[in-house]
Amino acid sequence: MSSIIAYIRRDEWSPYVAGILLGIVGVMAVWLSDSLLGASGAFENVVGIIGKAIAPDVFNNMYFNFIMPPEISWGVILLVGIFFGGMLGAATSGTLKWGKRDAANSDEQWKQIFGRQTWKRWAVAFVGAIILEYAAGIAGGCTSGLAISGGMLLAPAAFLFIAGMFASGIVTAMLVYRRRY
Amino acid sequence: MSTYIIALFLGVFFGFALNKAGLTKYHKIVNVFRLTDLAVLKFMMTALIVSMSGLYLLRGLGLITFPNVPATYIAGNVIGGLIFGVGMALSGFCPGTCAAGSGEGKLDYLIPGVLGFLVGAALYGLTYPQVFPAISAIANVGNVVIPDLWNLSPFFTVVLFAVLSIFLFYLIDRAGLHRKDRA
Repeated sequence: MSSIIAYIRRDEWSPYVAGILLGIVGVMAVWLSDSLLGASGAFENVVGIIGKAIAPDVFNNMYFNFIMPPEISWGVILLVGIFFGGMLGAATSGTLKWGKRDAANSDEQWKQIFGRQTWKRWAVAFVGAIILEYAAGIAGGCTSGLAISGGMLLAPAAFLFIAGMFASGIVTAMLVYRRRY
Repeated sequence: MSTYIIALFLGVFFGFALNKAGLTKYHKIVNVFRLTDLAVLKFMMTALIVSMSGLYLLRGLGLITFPNVPATYIAGNVIGGLIFGVGMALSGFCPGTCAAGSGEGKLDYLIPGVLGFLVGAALYGLTYPQVFPAISAIANVGNVVIPDLWNLSPFFTVVLFAVLSIFLFYLIDRAGLHRKDRA
């Protein structure tokens, strides 16, 4: 029992153990809620709510009216859960960053490659997130909503997406890291 | 209401798994693309083996029906994946891991990350009528699954996927199929 608790408190688990947990969560989502895990769609629901509040004319289009309506969907609640799950995970290993001095830019490998300036990290995180969300829209989902949720149903879309993601991810990492790739 | 509570609990376990797999760390995501640490791949493939075995078993027992299967439209799935990989290798996160990392208190995830996703979602939603119908019309095979598409036994397909994945894990862990980190 104490060895189980010690394992839970570890900063990093074996990816196989963590993967089994995610697999069970994926099955439970279908079994209990008839829903698929996802993350990118929830951001679309949320921006629909914000957009309809501040610029109702602009956000009065087919997408925000019918395809991703502005609502607190199942996926939005799931996303809130993911937030607290990350918090709980870091709390069990004592690696929470709230209030820590390096909370704004904490990865040592990032600092080695790009330097210590926070603005650089924030600029790349912002642009990267825009690219990710737009790409998820085109593809029909993100790593959770398409790669995992589609893959577990054996949808070809998931494996096409994963192949594209790894191909361009590898090329991008080569270009960013150059000699240090 | 109860379905929201289920969503919240499942989300907590999901975020917990992402944290424990190390996916809320920039270097963990980028190093899978540098092929120096394949934990992300192992995590994803393991999750897929477990969930597809569970789902096809439960469906075989008549306990569940599949929800809406993500649509396959070859050009869009691949192009979307290609653009997605660029964003992921630059930022070192994806929408799910950014949410979990935000909960950990990583401000680069919580502020520019979440704002970027909202901006990206607005851009996508507003340009949707010009972009999506055209791209999803190319090589669209609909909401299909591989066993139906290729007329394979679901049992055979799942077992084949598991055997190939476990062989890949063997190559990675026992035969050292990954690059050495020289950074």
